[in-house]
Amino acid sequence: MTNAWKRVAALFLTALPLGATAGNVVQTEQVRAELVAHAPEGVVPGAPVWLGLKLEHIPHWHTYWKNAGDSGLPTTMSWTLPAGAAAGEIDWPAPKQLPIGPLLNFGYEGVVLLPVPVTISSAIKDDAIHVKLDADWLVCKIECIPQSGTFELDVSVHQPTVAHAAQFEEALATRPVNVEGTEAIARIADDALHFEVRGLPATVRGVHAEVFPEIAGVVDNPAPVRQQWNGETWSASWPLSAQRSASPESFPLVLRFDGGSNLRAVANLATSWSGADDASKSGAPPSSSPGVASTLSQPGFLTALLFALLGGVILNLMPCVFPVLSLKVLSLTQHADDARQRWTGALAYTAGVVLSFLSLAGLLIAARAGGDQLGWGFQLQAPGTVVVLAALFTLIGLNLAGVFEFGSMLPSGIASLRARDPRLDSFLTGVLAAAVASPCTAPFMGAALGAALTWPAAQSLTVFAALGLGVAAPYLLACVVPAVGRWLPRPGPWMQTFRVVLAFPMFATVIWLAWVLGLQVGVDGAAALLLVLLVLALAAWWWGQRPADGFTRHLSTSVIFVLVAGAFLWAKPLWQPGLPATRVGADVGGLWQPWSPQRVTELQAAGRKVFVDFTAAWCVTCQYNKRTTLANDQVLAAFEANKVTLLRADWTSRDAIIAGELARLGRSGVPVYVFYDGANTPRLLSELPSVEEVLAAVSHGPSVTKE
Amino acid sequence: MKRSTSIFAITAAALLGAALVQASVSVGKAAPEFKVKDTSGQEQSLSAYKGKFVVLEWTNPECPFVQKHYDTSNMQSTQKAAEAKGAVWLTVSSSAPDQGDYRKPSELAAWLKEKGATPTATLMDDDGKLGQAYGARTTPHMYVIDPQGTLVYAGAIDSKATARKEDVKSATNYVTAALDEAMAGKPVTKSTSEPYGCSIKY
Repeated sequence: MTNAWKRVAALFLTALPLGATAGNVVQTEQVRAELVAHAPEGVVPGAPVWLGLKLEHIPHWHTYWKNAGDSGLPTTMSWTLPAGAAAGEIDWPAPKQLPIGPLLNFGYEGVVLLPVPVTISSAIKDDAIHVKLDADWLVCKIECIPQSGTFELDVSVHQPTVAHAAQFEEALATRPVNVEGTEAIARIADDALHFEVRGLPATVRGVHAEVFPEIAGVVDNPAPVRQQWNGETWSASWPLSAQRSASPESFPLVLRFDGGSNLRAVANLATSWSGADDASKSGAPPSSSPGVASTLSQPGFLTALLFALLGGVILNLMPCVFPVLSLKVLSLTQHADDARQRWTGALAYTAGVVLSFLSLAGLLIAARAGGDQLGWGFQLQAPGTVVVLAALFTLIGLNLAGVFEFGSMLPSGIASLRARDPRLDSFLTGVLAAAVASPCTAPFMGAALGAALTWPAAQSLTVFAALGLGVAAPYLLACVVPAVGRWLPRPGPWMQTFRVVLAFPMFATVIWLAWVLGLQVGVDGAAALLLVLLVLALAAWWWGQRPADGFTRHLSTSVIFVLVAGAFLWAKPLWQPGLPATRVGADVGGLWQPWSPQRVTELQAAGRKVFVDFTAAWCVTCQYNKRTTLANDQVLAAFEANKVTLLRADWTSRDAIIAGELARLGRSGVPVYVFYDGANTPRLLSELPSVEEVLAAVSHGPSVTKE
Repeated sequence: MKRSTSIFAITAAALLGAALVQASVSVGKAAPEFKVKDTSGQEQSLSAYKGKFVVLEWTNPECPFVQKHYDTSNMQSTQKAAEAKGAVWLTVSSSAPDQGDYRKPSELAAWLKEKGATPTATLMDDDGKLGQAYGARTTPHMYVIDPQGTLVYAGAIDSKATARKEDVKSATNYVTAALDEAMAGKPVTKSTSEPYGCSIKY
């Protein structure tokens, strides 16, 4: 390898033209380069005349686009033409992404033609024009070799030159072109460039694009570009380079749409670069998206921490967490005297809860950083998670009801480990508490936690840690304040009764989960879940009845496992997402029509007022609002009187379009209520809108919303 | 329960991964601390040079762009001028050992010696952590850190992004300019530029 360059250089030197006139082909070990011409009407003023450098790369080697990306260099051409002829700039074809380790370059592999337009200003007297080209290109695989060549070619003035017509025509047909009537702007916020391009052709609407910046040194090339479609508007966010070396006032982008359309858009900067520098210095959290008037300001960081802590404490009273917690607190009476053991147990429990919340939030942040359109509540958008939680809650409920004991289920290894180290037991109880709390955080606190996710990672993780701390707080308090232990009622036979009573909130949660699954995959899937839970209940009961040892015990164990596994495998195909046949019917109907970005644009164009309800089955706040404020007679009358079209966007299952629209509105969770009055910017209502709030927004219309 | 712990481990790993994706340092911010072995096996850290200007130079002897600046003695003279003014010069190799053009510490040291280079130390960043913390992309890629540990320049060695040796003479040397201005207590006029060269083989 050490001598590779020398070897290549030697080869390359032998390839260099030695005589007075160069040919039109330069061949190196990696590239065959050819100067070609295209003049179908001859070289006369006003006729199309093209020159071009055709580069054929051997496999795995590439040359670069006008912006080479993280490394590399663009190909350069220097022309010598007779008087009356002038060469323009290279009409660069759309490039490809060329990743190298953590870096990203932009360039070409295989065969590429770099066309250059030629302007003929006065009639040429000779029979042919003599063209000379000096070109430099850097060809790279992982290693790079700078190469150059001198090319000469005579092009007939009067005869048509069409030998490479097909290549030129293809290159010109697929080049990225500016579309008439498009309007592109860019804004700088949160250390990223946010683009919005309106008026792209209908054929590319909703299609994903690979995006290439023509100007180097502005954006962080390999960072994920978040893009989305909203009606005819394509928007994208691209993080700025930490070591940005250019501050252009307009920023041309090449968009390579899946399916073959290559377009170009020049985005004019609507904000100034000095603002970008200030924002990156102060590390300020992003403000809500521009162009949206909000009646709600984003909560401050400290307020959010306080609310998360408080919310965590309240979560302890939710039907999913309360039973687990109360048993845990009652178990305190078992070792009421050993203060040290209680302390370590309490801390291990807290660690279990907080770390579980952090991992869940971290997973979500990582997925969002990877470009996934997810918000808080994402756990419940996967039918698999809903099924597993329903099974878990059923088992906990049956356990509380006394059908079987968990102790007998654990493999002996873990059971003895638990006995040996009670801290592990406490830690795992904490993990369990977080797991059972998670379906409750999404419905009750989805919107608030969703907002926290739009903050920088460190801040949003702190909010989630505070939530975990809140969940752990009551038990922590009970452990470290001896007085609480004394307030607790003495253990006695009543505890067994209390335990069985606690089974019922668990089963209530299962019913709710079955309903959510029903909305996601249909009634067949929900029925299948109930059947699987029935088998699970039978298995749990049987497990509790097994003889202590012997052949029958082993036989029972095997049959139980086969039964449960069989039931799951049978039902699994029915839990596939994407067949929400009944979903639309369940949530949309009567006054409400299904939402789509196109529908909003159409209605607005028609001068209609629009109210949109972003909702999800697993969002209890949404269900509450739907049955109270949104069902209020006065509100419905106001909607009718003001001719407001009601649209509902259902986010029960994953949906990139809805997630994208929520992000555009500056939210990442539901509920979100938006009112478009036809004149002003859309207006966001609060997450728990009162009747008065909706009436004010709908009735007064444009004249009042001046803020 | 065993399953829940393994899920836990996966999410913890994902969390760690997310933290590693954190953006690299910006000019005007504190340059990240590092602890990396040099070609003689000694541990080098940024904090050890606190109070001095530090130049970081990413290199790869196989790269034609590195050769451009070493064969014309441009890199060596930039280095000597910086060291004469009291700056510390750390040459860094971030090539992964499994890459074809990886040089062993002794080979790299010998190559630099043969070229007449006199870096304060040559760092073997085999795992690429130093390079990624600084956002180093190309060879060469240059950084200047002031005595307070603030990054004051990041980018190319000079203004002519080509592999042609004859361009060295007519190019503006950004590293020398940044050092001159910063040492005179002035803000650096050109504090960032687009680095040019071969990809670093992480």
